[in-house]
Amino acid sequence: MPKILVCYKWVLDEQDIKINPSDLSLDSSRAKGKISDFDRNAIEEATQLVEKLGGTVDALTYGTPAVKQSLKDTLSRGPNKVFWIGDASAEKADAHVIANVLAAAIRKIGPYDLIICGEASSDSYNQQTAPRIAALLDLPAITYVEEIGASGNGVSATRKLNDCTEVATVQGPAVISVLGEINKPRVPSLKQVLAASKKPSEEIKIASLGLTPADLTPKVVCISVKGFVMSRKNVIYKDGDAAAKVAKFVASLKKEGLC
Amino acid sequence: MAGIFVFSEENAVARQLLTAGLELKAVMQLPLCVITANADQSDNFIRLGAEKVFVLQAPGAWPEGLAKVVADVAGREQASVLLVGGTLRGKDIAGKVAALLKAGLVSDAQKLKFANGSLETTRLLYAGLALCEDTVALPAVVTVPPHTFAEPAPSAARQGVVQAVEAAPDTRVTISNVHPIKSEGVDITTASKLVSVGRAFLRKEDLGLAEELAKAIGAEISCTRGVAEDYHWLPIERYIGISGQKVKPDLYLAVGISGQVQHIVGIRESKFIAAVNSDERAPIFEASDYGIVGDLYEVLPLLTKAVKH
Repeated sequence: MPKILVCYKWVLDEQDIKINPSDLSLDSSRAKGKISDFDRNAIEEATQLVEKLGGTVDALTYGTPAVKQSLKDTLSRGPNKVFWIGDASAEKADAHVIANVLAAAIRKIGPYDLIICGEASSDSYNQQTAPRIAALLDLPAITYVEEIGASGNGVSATRKLNDCTEVATVQGPAVISVLGEINKPRVPSLKQVLAASKKPSEEIKIASLGLTPADLTPKVVCISVKGFVMSRKNVIYKDGDAAAKVAKFVASLKKEGLC
Repeated sequence: MAGIFVFSEENAVARQLLTAGLELKAVMQLPLCVITANADQSDNFIRLGAEKVFVLQAPGAWPEGLAKVVADVAGREQASVLLVGGTLRGKDIAGKVAALLKAGLVSDAQKLKFANGSLETTRLLYAGLALCEDTVALPAVVTVPPHTFAEPAPSAARQGVVQAVEAAPDTRVTISNVHPIKSEGVDITTASKLVSVGRAFLRKEDLGLAEELAKAIGAEISCTRGVAEDYHWLPIERYIGISGQKVKPDLYLAVGISGQVQHIVGIRESKFIAAVNSDERAPIFEASDYGIVGDLYEVLPLLTKAVKH
Protein backbone atom coordinates (compact mmCIF):
# COMPACT_ATOMS: atom_id res chain seq x y z
CA MET A 1 0.00 0.00 0.00
CA PRO A 2 1.56 3.23 -1.12
CA LYS A 3 2.65 6.03 1.13
CA ILE A 4 2.02 9.17 -0.87
CA LEU A 5 3.05 12.78 -0.35
CA VAL A 6 1.37 15.60 -2.18
CA CYS A 7 2.99 19.04 -2.35
CA TYR A 8 0.86 22.12 -2.75
CA LYS A 9 1.18 25.89 -2.87
CA TRP A 10 -1.19 28.39 -1.28
CA VAL A 11 -1.55 31.26 -3.75
CA LEU A 12 -3.60 34.41 -4.24
CA ASP A 13 -6.64 33.94 -6.44
CA GLU A 14 -5.57 35.72 -9.63
CA GLN A 15 -9.20 36.44 -10.57
CA ASP A 16 -9.37 38.88 -7.61
CA ILE A 17 -6.17 40.78 -8.42
CA LYS A 18 -6.82 44.17 -9.98
CA ILE A 19 -4.47 46.44 -11.90
CA ASN A 20 -4.16 50.05 -10.72
CA PRO A 21 -4.61 52.04 -13.94
CA SER A 22 -2.42 54.93 -12.69
CA ASP A 23 0.85 53.02 -12.29
CA LEU A 24 -0.02 49.50 -13.51
CA SER A 25 0.82 48.09 -10.08
CA LEU A 26 -1.11 45.07 -8.88
CA ASP A 27 -3.73 45.46 -6.17
CA SER A 28 -4.15 42.17 -4.38
CA SER A 29 -5.80 43.63 -1.27
CA ARG A 30 -9.07 41.89 -2.15
CA ALA A 31 -7.52 38.65 -3.32
CA LYS A 32 -8.21 35.61 -1.19
CA GLY A 33 -5.91 32.64 -0.87
CA LYS A 34 -6.57 29.33 -2.58
CA ILE A 35 -4.86 26.00 -3.09
CA SER A 36 -3.17 26.46 -6.46
CA ASP A 37 -5.39 25.01 -9.23
CA PHE A 38 -3.31 22.06 -10.41
CA ASP A 39 -2.25 21.26 -6.84
CA ARG A 40 -5.93 20.55 -6.17
CA ASN A 41 -5.69 17.97 -8.97
CA ALA A 42 -2.58 16.56 -7.29
CA ILE A 43 -4.40 16.23 -3.94
CA GLU A 44 -7.41 14.64 -5.64
CA GLU A 45 -5.24 12.14 -7.55
CA ALA A 46 -3.34 11.11 -4.41
CA THR A 47 -6.62 10.70 -2.56
CA GLN A 48 -8.18 8.62 -5.33
CA LEU A 49 -5.08 6.39 -5.45
CA VAL A 50 -5.30 5.50 -1.76
CA GLU A 51 -9.07 5.07 -2.00
CA LYS A 52 -8.31 2.44 -4.65
CA LEU A 53 -5.07 0.87 -3.35
CA GLY A 54 -5.07 1.62 0.36
CA GLY A 55 -2.17 3.47 1.94
CA THR A 56 -1.90 7.03 3.23
CA VAL A 57 -1.63 10.54 1.87
CA ASP A 58 0.33 13.27 3.59
CA ALA A 59 0.41 16.83 2.30
CA LEU A 60 3.30 19.29 2.47
CA THR A 61 3.33 23.02 1.86
CA TYR A 62 5.79 25.90 2.17
CA GLY A 63 4.55 29.47 2.24
CA THR A 64 4.42 32.63 4.27
CA PRO A 65 2.83 32.34 7.74
CA ALA A 66 -0.54 32.85 5.95
CA VAL A 67 -0.20 29.31 4.60
CA LYS A 68 -1.73 28.13 7.89
CA GLN A 69 -5.11 29.19 6.49
CA SER A 70 -4.87 26.40 3.92
CA LEU A 71 -4.62 23.45 6.29
CA LYS A 72 -8.31 22.74 6.81
CA ASP A 73 -9.15 23.06 3.12
CA THR A 74 -6.36 20.64 2.29
CA LEU A 75 -7.37 18.08 4.91
CA SER A 76 -11.03 18.20 3.81
CA ARG A 77 -9.89 17.11 0.34
CA GLY A 78 -8.55 13.77 1.54
CA PRO A 79 -5.03 13.83 3.00
CA ASN A 80 -4.56 12.19 6.42
CA LYS A 81 -2.07 14.72 7.69
CA VAL A 82 -0.56 18.00 6.56
CA PHE A 83 2.97 19.26 7.22
CA TRP A 84 3.44 22.99 6.84
CA ILE A 85 6.34 25.39 6.76
CA GLY A 86 5.17 28.95 7.33
CA ASP A 87 8.08 31.33 7.00
CA ALA A 88 8.61 34.89 5.80
CA SER A 89 11.36 33.67 3.44
CA ALA A 90 8.60 32.33 1.16
CA GLU A 91 7.65 35.88 0.19
CA LYS A 92 10.66 36.22 -2.12
CA ALA A 93 11.47 32.54 -2.62
CA ASP A 94 12.17 31.46 -6.20
CA ALA A 95 11.81 27.91 -7.49
CA HIS A 96 15.38 27.16 -6.32
CA VAL A 97 14.55 28.04 -2.71
CA ILE A 98 11.11 26.39 -2.80
CA ALA A 99 12.57 23.11 -4.06
CA ASN A 100 15.40 23.21 -1.51
CA VAL A 101 12.92 23.67 1.34
CA LEU A 102 10.49 21.00 0.12
CA ALA A 103 13.27 18.48 -0.58
CA ALA A 104 14.80 19.04 2.86
CA ALA A 105 11.40 18.59 4.49
CA ILE A 106 10.80 15.37 2.53
CA ARG A 107 14.18 14.04 3.72
CA LYS A 108 12.99 14.70 7.26
CA ILE A 109 9.43 13.28 7.07
CA GLY A 110 9.88 10.69 4.29
CA PRO A 111 10.54 8.41 2.60
CA TYR A 112 7.45 8.20 0.37
CA ASP A 113 6.60 5.84 -2.48
CA LEU A 114 5.14 8.63 -4.57
CA ILE A 115 5.50 12.39 -4.39
CA ILE A 116 2.83 14.16 -6.42
CA CYS A 117 2.84 17.85 -7.42
CA GLY A 118 0.70 19.96 -9.70
CA GLU A 119 2.22 20.74 -13.09
CA ALA A 120 2.70 24.41 -12.19
CA SER A 121 1.40 26.99 -9.74
CA SER A 122 -1.33 29.47 -10.67
CA ASP A 123 0.80 32.47 -9.72
CA SER A 124 4.31 32.03 -11.10
CA TYR A 125 3.65 29.02 -13.38
CA ASN A 126 7.29 27.99 -13.25
CA GLN A 127 6.72 24.24 -13.83
CA GLN A 128 9.90 23.58 -11.85
CA THR A 129 9.00 22.05 -8.49
CA ALA A 130 8.58 18.41 -9.55
CA PRO A 131 11.74 18.10 -11.71
CA ARG A 132 13.78 20.06 -9.18
CA ILE A 133 12.80 18.01 -6.13
CA ALA A 134 13.28 14.80 -8.13
CA ALA A 135 16.84 15.88 -8.96
CA LEU A 136 17.55 17.01 -5.39
CA LEU A 137 16.25 13.75 -3.91
CA ASP A 138 17.85 11.66 -6.70
CA LEU A 139 14.47 10.18 -7.66
CA PRO A 140 13.12 9.67 -11.18
CA ALA A 141 10.54 12.25 -12.34
CA ILE A 142 7.46 11.66 -14.46
CA THR A 143 6.13 15.08 -15.42
CA TYR A 144 2.97 16.28 -17.24
CA VAL A 145 0.88 13.25 -16.33
CA GLU A 146 -2.74 12.80 -17.41
CA GLU A 147 -3.27 9.31 -15.97
CA ILE A 148 -1.62 7.29 -13.20
CA GLY A 149 -1.73 3.50 -12.89
CA ALA A 150 0.03 1.18 -10.47
CA SER A 151 2.66 -1.21 -11.81
CA GLY A 152 4.01 -3.91 -9.47
CA ASN A 153 5.91 -2.10 -6.78
CA GLY A 154 6.22 0.95 -9.00
CA VAL A 155 4.12 3.32 -11.02
CA SER A 156 3.13 3.67 -14.64
CA ALA A 157 1.87 7.04 -15.85
CA THR A 158 0.71 8.52 -19.14
CA ARG A 159 2.38 11.80 -19.97
CA LYS A 160 0.88 14.33 -22.35
CA LEU A 161 3.55 16.32 -24.17
CA ASN A 162 3.43 18.92 -26.94
CA ASP A 163 3.01 16.46 -29.78
CA CYS A 164 2.60 13.00 -28.28
CA THR A 165 1.56 10.94 -25.32
CA GLU A 166 3.80 8.30 -23.77
CA VAL A 167 3.71 5.87 -20.87
CA ALA A 168 6.56 6.18 -18.37
CA THR A 169 7.17 3.34 -15.92
CA VAL A 170 9.31 3.43 -12.80
CA GLN A 171 10.05 0.67 -10.29
CA GLY A 172 10.35 2.17 -6.85
CA PRO A 173 9.72 5.71 -5.67
CA ALA A 174 9.12 8.60 -8.07
CA VAL A 175 8.11 12.24 -8.29
CA ILE A 176 5.10 12.94 -10.48
CA SER A 177 3.59 16.19 -11.76
CA VAL A 178 -0.03 16.10 -12.88
CA LEU A 179 -1.95 18.09 -15.47
CA GLY A 180 -5.28 19.78 -14.79
CA GLU A 181 -7.18 17.27 -16.92
CA ILE A 182 -6.15 14.23 -14.85
CA ASN A 183 -9.29 14.50 -12.71
CA LYS A 184 -11.97 16.80 -11.41
CA PRO A 185 -11.16 17.82 -7.82
CA ARG A 186 -13.98 17.07 -5.43
CA VAL A 187 -15.97 19.73 -3.65
CA PRO A 188 -15.53 18.58 -0.04
CA SER A 189 -18.77 17.48 1.63
CA LEU A 190 -19.83 18.87 4.99
CA LYS A 191 -18.79 15.55 6.55
CA GLN A 192 -15.33 15.82 5.00
CA VAL A 193 -15.01 19.42 6.18
CA LEU A 194 -15.98 18.43 9.74
CA ALA A 195 -13.64 15.43 9.69
CA ALA A 196 -10.80 17.70 8.56
CA SER A 197 -10.74 19.55 11.86
CA LYS A 198 -9.94 16.28 13.66
CA LYS A 199 -7.01 15.44 11.37
CA PRO A 200 -3.45 16.26 12.46
CA SER A 201 -1.27 19.04 11.14
CA GLU A 202 2.38 19.53 12.02
CA GLU A 203 4.47 22.63 11.65
CA ILE A 204 8.05 22.21 10.46
CA LYS A 205 10.36 25.06 11.40
CA ILE A 206 12.58 26.07 8.52
CA ALA A 207 15.54 26.29 10.93
CA SER A 208 15.18 22.57 11.64
CA LEU A 209 15.86 21.60 8.02
CA GLY A 210 19.64 22.06 8.02
CA LEU A 211 19.59 24.43 5.03
CA THR A 212 22.47 26.82 4.38
CA PRO A 213 21.98 30.55 3.73
CA ALA A 214 22.85 29.82 0.07
CA ASP A 215 20.03 27.25 -0.12
CA LEU A 216 17.60 29.94 1.06
CA THR A 217 18.87 32.77 -1.16
CA PRO A 218 16.80 33.24 -4.32
CA LYS A 219 18.73 33.16 -7.59
CA VAL A 220 15.89 34.82 -9.47
CA VAL A 221 14.94 38.22 -8.07
CA CYS A 222 11.94 40.17 -9.27
CA ILE A 223 12.77 43.78 -10.15
CA SER A 224 9.40 44.93 -11.49
CA VAL A 225 5.85 43.69 -11.90
CA LYS A 226 3.52 45.57 -14.19
CA GLY A 227 -0.09 44.77 -14.93
CA PHE A 228 -0.81 44.04 -18.56
CA VAL A 229 -3.37 46.55 -19.74
CA MET A 230 -5.39 46.33 -22.90
CA SER A 231 -6.99 49.39 -24.31
CA ARG A 232 -10.31 48.38 -25.85
CA LYS A 233 -13.33 50.36 -27.00
CA ASN A 234 -15.75 48.65 -24.59
CA VAL A 235 -18.85 49.47 -26.65
CA ILE A 236 -21.34 47.05 -25.12
CA TYR A 237 -24.95 46.84 -26.32
CA LYS A 238 -27.10 45.76 -23.41
CA ASP A 239 -30.43 47.57 -23.76
CA GLY A 240 -33.34 46.89 -26.07
CA ASP A 241 -34.46 43.64 -27.68
CA ALA A 242 -32.04 41.12 -29.14
CA ALA A 243 -32.68 42.15 -32.76
CA ALA A 244 -31.91 45.80 -32.03
CA LYS A 245 -28.68 44.90 -30.19
CA VAL A 246 -27.60 42.60 -33.01
CA ALA A 247 -28.28 45.34 -35.60
CA LYS A 248 -26.08 47.85 -33.74
CA PHE A 249 -23.37 45.25 -33.13
CA VAL A 250 -23.24 44.23 -36.80
CA ALA A 251 -23.18 47.89 -37.87
CA SER A 252 -20.13 48.40 -35.61
CA LEU A 253 -18.32 45.38 -37.03
CA LYS A 254 -19.12 46.51 -40.59
CA LYS A 255 -17.72 49.96 -39.85
CA GLU A 256 -14.45 48.32 -38.81
CA GLY A 257 -14.48 46.23 -41.98
CA LEU A 258 -14.82 42.99 -40.03
CA CYS A 259 -17.88 41.51 -41.72
CA MET B 1 35.88 27.78 -20.48
CA ALA B 2 32.88 29.89 -19.56
CA GLY B 3 30.28 30.18 -22.26
CA ILE B 4 26.72 30.61 -23.42
CA PHE B 5 25.15 27.21 -23.91
CA VAL B 6 22.08 26.11 -25.86
CA PHE B 7 20.20 22.83 -25.49
CA SER B 8 16.98 21.57 -27.03
CA GLU B 9 15.90 18.07 -27.95
CA GLU B 10 14.14 19.74 -30.90
CA ASN B 11 16.72 20.74 -33.53
CA ALA B 12 14.59 23.60 -34.88
CA VAL B 13 14.21 25.11 -31.41
CA ALA B 14 17.96 24.77 -30.75
CA ARG B 15 18.58 26.70 -33.99
CA GLN B 16 16.17 29.46 -32.86
CA LEU B 17 17.94 29.69 -29.50
CA LEU B 18 21.23 30.38 -31.30
CA THR B 19 19.77 33.80 -32.21
CA ALA B 20 19.27 34.57 -28.52
CA GLY B 21 22.72 33.13 -27.83
CA LEU B 22 24.37 35.34 -30.46
CA GLU B 23 22.70 38.44 -28.95
CA LEU B 24 24.05 37.52 -25.50
CA LYS B 25 27.46 36.73 -26.95
CA ALA B 26 27.74 40.22 -28.44
CA VAL B 27 27.44 41.69 -24.93
CA MET B 28 28.98 38.98 -22.75
CA GLN B 29 31.94 38.25 -25.06
CA LEU B 30 31.74 34.53 -24.32
CA PRO B 31 31.82 31.60 -26.74
CA LEU B 32 28.50 30.17 -27.90
CA CYS B 33 28.14 26.40 -27.53
CA VAL B 34 25.46 23.82 -28.27
CA ILE B 35 24.78 20.60 -26.37
CA THR B 36 22.92 18.07 -28.51
CA ALA B 37 22.27 14.35 -28.80
CA ASN B 38 21.91 14.70 -32.58
CA ALA B 39 25.38 14.34 -34.09
CA ASP B 40 24.14 14.99 -37.63
CA GLN B 41 23.20 18.56 -36.65
CA SER B 42 26.70 19.63 -35.56
CA ASP B 43 27.78 21.29 -38.82
CA ASN B 44 24.43 23.00 -39.09
CA PHE B 45 24.77 24.50 -35.60
CA ILE B 46 28.30 25.70 -36.47
CA ARG B 47 27.09 27.39 -39.68
CA LEU B 48 24.49 29.19 -37.54
CA GLY B 49 27.03 30.51 -35.04
CA ALA B 50 28.01 27.80 -32.53
CA GLU B 51 31.74 27.75 -31.81
CA LYS B 52 31.65 24.41 -30.08
CA VAL B 53 29.16 21.56 -30.24
CA PHE B 54 29.09 18.94 -27.50
CA VAL B 55 27.56 15.77 -28.91
CA LEU B 56 26.09 13.49 -26.23
CA GLN B 57 26.77 9.88 -27.23
CA ALA B 58 23.25 8.66 -26.51
CA PRO B 59 21.40 8.43 -29.82
CA GLY B 60 17.68 7.81 -29.40
CA ALA B 61 17.74 8.28 -25.62
CA TRP B 62 14.66 9.58 -23.81
CA PRO B 63 15.54 13.31 -23.70
CA GLU B 64 14.43 13.75 -20.07
CA GLY B 65 16.92 11.04 -19.11
CA LEU B 66 19.78 13.25 -20.34
CA ALA B 67 19.31 15.97 -17.71
CA LYS B 68 22.21 14.83 -15.56
CA VAL B 69 24.52 14.63 -18.57
CA VAL B 70 23.53 18.14 -19.69
CA ALA B 71 24.13 19.40 -16.13
CA ASP B 72 27.54 17.67 -16.07
CA VAL B 73 28.65 19.32 -19.32
CA ALA B 74 27.30 22.76 -18.29
CA GLY B 75 28.94 22.43 -14.88
CA ARG B 76 32.29 21.17 -16.14
CA GLU B 77 32.47 23.86 -18.83
CA GLN B 78 31.38 26.51 -16.32
CA ALA B 79 28.49 27.65 -18.48
CA SER B 80 27.40 31.18 -17.57
CA VAL B 81 24.04 30.90 -19.29
CA LEU B 82 22.18 27.79 -20.44
CA LEU B 83 19.25 28.42 -22.78
CA VAL B 84 16.86 25.47 -23.03
CA GLY B 85 14.06 25.11 -25.57
CA GLY B 86 10.76 25.58 -23.72
CA THR B 87 8.97 22.45 -24.88
CA LEU B 88 7.46 20.39 -22.05
CA ARG B 89 10.36 17.94 -22.32
CA GLY B 90 12.77 20.89 -22.25
CA LYS B 91 11.18 22.32 -19.14
CA ASP B 92 11.46 18.96 -17.38
CA ILE B 93 15.15 18.79 -18.30
CA ALA B 94 15.80 22.45 -17.38
CA GLY B 95 14.26 22.01 -13.92
CA LYS B 96 16.51 19.03 -13.15
CA VAL B 97 19.60 20.72 -14.60
CA ALA B 98 18.98 23.91 -12.58
CA ALA B 99 18.57 21.89 -9.37
CA LEU B 100 21.78 19.93 -10.04
CA LEU B 101 23.71 23.14 -10.78
CA LYS B 102 22.06 24.96 -7.83
CA ALA B 103 21.16 27.61 -10.40
CA GLY B 104 18.25 29.96 -10.95
CA LEU B 105 15.85 29.07 -13.74
CA VAL B 106 13.49 31.47 -15.48
CA SER B 107 10.62 29.65 -17.20
CA ASP B 108 9.25 30.86 -20.54
CA ALA B 109 11.29 34.04 -20.88
CA GLN B 110 9.89 36.30 -23.59
CA LYS B 111 12.91 38.60 -23.58
CA LEU B 112 16.40 38.33 -22.17
CA LYS B 113 19.44 40.55 -22.03
CA PHE B 114 22.69 40.78 -20.11
CA ALA B 115 23.10 43.91 -17.99
CA ASN B 116 24.86 44.90 -14.77
CA GLY B 117 26.55 41.56 -14.37
CA SER B 118 23.41 39.46 -14.44
CA LEU B 119 20.82 38.22 -16.84
CA GLU B 120 17.57 40.20 -17.04
CA THR B 121 14.44 38.47 -18.25
CA THR B 122 10.79 39.26 -18.88
CA ARG B 123 8.00 36.75 -18.34
CA LEU B 124 4.30 36.46 -17.51
CA LEU B 125 2.92 36.25 -14.01
CA TYR B 126 -0.56 35.30 -12.76
CA ALA B 127 -1.51 33.62 -16.02
CA GLY B 128 -0.68 36.73 -18.01
CA LEU B 129 -2.30 39.32 -15.77
CA ALA B 130 1.12 40.92 -15.31
CA LEU B 131 4.59 41.07 -16.82
CA CYS B 132 7.47 40.41 -14.46
CA GLU B 133 11.08 41.49 -14.94
CA ASP B 134 13.65 39.43 -13.06
CA THR B 135 17.40 39.39 -12.64
CA VAL B 136 19.04 35.99 -12.49
CA ALA B 137 22.41 35.33 -10.90
CA LEU B 138 24.96 33.48 -13.05
CA PRO B 139 25.11 30.66 -13.85
CA ALA B 140 21.56 31.06 -15.11
CA VAL B 141 19.24 28.61 -16.83
CA VAL B 142 16.41 30.00 -18.96
CA THR B 143 13.70 28.22 -20.93
CA VAL B 144 12.50 30.06 -24.02
CA PRO B 145 9.24 29.12 -25.77
CA PRO B 146 9.58 27.72 -29.31
CA HIS B 147 9.26 30.37 -32.08
CA THR B 148 10.28 33.22 -29.76
CA PHE B 149 13.27 33.82 -32.04
CA ALA B 150 13.85 33.23 -35.76
CA GLU B 151 16.86 31.16 -36.78
CA PRO B 152 20.05 33.15 -37.40
CA ALA B 153 21.36 33.48 -40.96
CA PRO B 154 23.78 30.65 -41.79
CA SER B 155 27.34 31.29 -42.91
CA ALA B 156 29.46 28.53 -44.45
CA ALA B 157 32.57 30.49 -43.45
CA ARG B 158 32.03 29.84 -39.74
CA GLN B 159 34.33 27.34 -38.06
CA GLY B 160 33.72 25.34 -34.95
CA VAL B 161 34.77 22.36 -32.90
CA VAL B 162 32.75 19.21 -32.35
CA GLN B 163 33.40 17.26 -29.17
CA ALA B 164 31.88 13.88 -28.36
CA VAL B 165 30.73 13.41 -24.75
CA GLU B 166 30.24 10.00 -23.15
CA ALA B 167 26.66 9.95 -21.89
CA ALA B 168 24.87 7.47 -19.67
CA PRO B 169 21.15 8.29 -19.76
CA ASP B 170 18.90 7.75 -16.73
CA THR B 171 17.66 4.18 -17.00
CA ARG B 172 15.24 4.28 -14.07
CA VAL B 173 12.38 5.34 -16.35
CA THR B 174 11.20 3.12 -19.21
CA ILE B 175 9.05 4.55 -21.99
CA SER B 176 6.37 2.73 -23.97
CA ASN B 177 3.17 3.39 -25.94
CA VAL B 178 4.31 6.58 -27.63
CA HIS B 179 1.39 7.95 -29.63
CA PRO B 180 1.47 11.17 -31.65
CA ILE B 181 -1.36 13.51 -30.69
CA LYS B 182 -3.72 13.46 -33.64
CA SER B 183 -3.98 16.74 -35.39
CA GLU B 184 -6.80 17.56 -37.79
CA GLY B 185 -4.44 20.01 -39.43
CA VAL B 186 -6.29 23.22 -38.63
CA ASP B 187 -4.03 26.00 -37.45
CA ILE B 188 -6.21 28.53 -35.66
CA THR B 189 -3.20 30.76 -35.02
CA THR B 190 -3.19 31.80 -38.67
CA ALA B 191 -6.95 32.44 -39.00
CA SER B 192 -7.93 36.06 -39.63
CA LYS B 193 -11.25 35.61 -37.84
CA LEU B 194 -12.24 33.33 -34.99
CA VAL B 195 -15.60 32.52 -33.47
CA SER B 196 -14.75 31.08 -30.09
CA VAL B 197 -17.06 29.03 -27.88
CA GLY B 198 -17.18 28.67 -24.10
CA ARG B 199 -19.03 26.86 -21.39
CA ALA B 200 -22.32 28.70 -21.89
CA PHE B 201 -23.12 26.21 -24.67
CA LEU B 202 -25.28 23.54 -23.05
CA ARG B 203 -24.80 20.70 -25.54
CA LYS B 204 -22.19 19.76 -28.09
CA GLU B 205 -24.84 19.88 -30.86
CA ASP B 206 -25.43 23.54 -30.05
CA LEU B 207 -21.95 24.41 -31.33
CA GLY B 208 -23.69 24.29 -34.72
CA LEU B 209 -24.99 27.79 -33.93
CA ALA B 210 -21.42 29.07 -33.73
CA GLU B 211 -20.38 27.11 -36.81
CA GLU B 212 -23.18 28.74 -38.83
CA LEU B 213 -21.98 32.17 -37.78
CA ALA B 214 -18.35 31.27 -38.47
CA LYS B 215 -19.31 30.14 -41.97
CA ALA B 216 -21.19 33.36 -42.59
CA ILE B 217 -18.23 35.60 -41.70
CA GLY B 218 -15.44 33.30 -42.91
CA ALA B 219 -14.07 32.41 -39.48
CA GLU B 220 -12.55 29.33 -37.87
CA ILE B 221 -13.92 27.87 -34.63
CA SER B 222 -11.85 28.02 -31.47
CA CYS B 223 -12.72 27.43 -27.83
CA THR B 224 -11.79 27.70 -24.16
CA ARG B 225 -9.82 25.14 -22.20
CA GLY B 226 -12.98 23.79 -20.57
CA VAL B 227 -14.66 23.01 -23.89
CA ALA B 228 -11.61 21.06 -25.11
CA GLU B 229 -10.17 19.53 -21.93
CA ASP B 230 -13.27 18.95 -19.79
CA TYR B 231 -16.10 18.48 -22.31
CA HIS B 232 -13.92 17.11 -25.14
CA TRP B 233 -16.24 18.77 -27.64
CA LEU B 234 -13.36 20.16 -29.74
CA PRO B 235 -9.76 19.01 -30.24
CA ILE B 236 -7.15 20.55 -27.97
CA GLU B 237 -5.44 22.29 -30.89
CA ARG B 238 -8.47 24.62 -31.00
CA TYR B 239 -8.29 25.83 -27.42
CA ILE B 240 -6.88 29.19 -26.54
CA GLY B 241 -5.25 30.31 -23.32
CA ILE B 242 -2.14 30.34 -21.19
CA SER B 243 -1.54 26.63 -21.70
CA GLY B 244 -3.12 26.47 -25.17
CA GLN B 245 -2.86 28.49 -28.37
CA LYS B 246 -2.11 32.21 -28.54
CA VAL B 247 -3.91 33.96 -31.39
CA LYS B 248 -3.96 37.39 -32.99
CA PRO B 249 -6.75 37.47 -35.57
CA ASP B 250 -8.37 40.63 -36.96
CA LEU B 251 -11.60 39.63 -35.21
CA TYR B 252 -11.97 37.44 -32.16
CA LEU B 253 -15.63 36.85 -31.35
CA ALA B 254 -16.09 35.21 -27.94
CA VAL B 255 -19.44 33.50 -27.46
CA GLY B 256 -20.44 32.33 -24.00
CA ILE B 257 -16.92 32.86 -22.65
CA SER B 258 -16.61 34.54 -19.26
CA GLY B 259 -13.07 35.79 -19.94
CA GLN B 260 -10.82 34.53 -17.15
CA VAL B 261 -7.26 35.86 -17.27
CA GLN B 262 -5.96 32.46 -18.38
CA HIS B 263 -8.07 32.79 -21.53
CA ILE B 264 -7.53 36.50 -22.14
CA VAL B 265 -3.75 36.06 -22.27
CA GLY B 266 -4.21 33.99 -25.41
CA ILE B 267 -6.35 36.55 -27.27
CA ARG B 268 -5.10 39.94 -26.19
CA GLU B 269 -3.09 40.61 -29.30
CA SER B 270 -6.23 40.33 -31.43
CA LYS B 271 -6.95 43.44 -33.47
CA PHE B 272 -10.61 43.50 -32.45
CA ILE B 273 -12.29 41.52 -29.69
CA ALA B 274 -16.07 41.14 -29.61
CA ALA B 275 -18.22 39.19 -27.18
CA VAL B 276 -21.68 37.74 -26.67
CA ASN B 277 -22.45 36.88 -23.07
CA SER B 278 -25.56 36.82 -20.90
CA ASP B 279 -23.70 38.19 -17.86
CA GLU B 280 -23.20 41.93 -18.11
CA ARG B 281 -20.42 41.73 -15.51
CA ALA B 282 -18.44 38.99 -17.26
CA PRO B 283 -14.77 40.07 -17.52
CA ILE B 284 -14.81 39.36 -21.27
CA PHE B 285 -16.60 42.69 -21.82
CA GLU B 286 -13.71 44.62 -20.24
CA ALA B 287 -11.48 42.98 -22.82
CA SER B 288 -13.86 43.67 -25.71
CA ASP B 289 -14.21 46.39 -28.31
CA TYR B 290 -17.82 45.47 -29.03
CA GLY B 291 -20.26 43.32 -27.14
CA ILE B 292 -23.83 42.16 -26.82
CA VAL B 293 -25.32 41.30 -23.46
CA GLY B 294 -27.74 38.54 -24.27
CA ASP B 295 -28.51 34.84 -24.44
CA LEU B 296 -26.36 33.23 -27.12
CA TYR B 297 -29.24 30.93 -28.12
CA GLU B 298 -31.26 33.99 -29.05
CA VAL B 299 -28.43 36.19 -30.32
CA LEU B 300 -26.44 33.82 -32.54
CA PRO B 301 -29.18 32.97 -35.07
CA LEU B 302 -30.02 36.68 -35.39
CA LEU B 303 -26.35 37.53 -35.79
CA THR B 304 -25.84 34.91 -38.50
CA LYS B 305 -28.88 36.22 -40.36
CA ALA B 306 -27.77 39.86 -40.00
CA VAL B 307 -24.23 39.37 -41.34
CA LYS B 308 -25.56 37.50 -44.36
CA HIS B 309 -27.41 40.64 -45.44
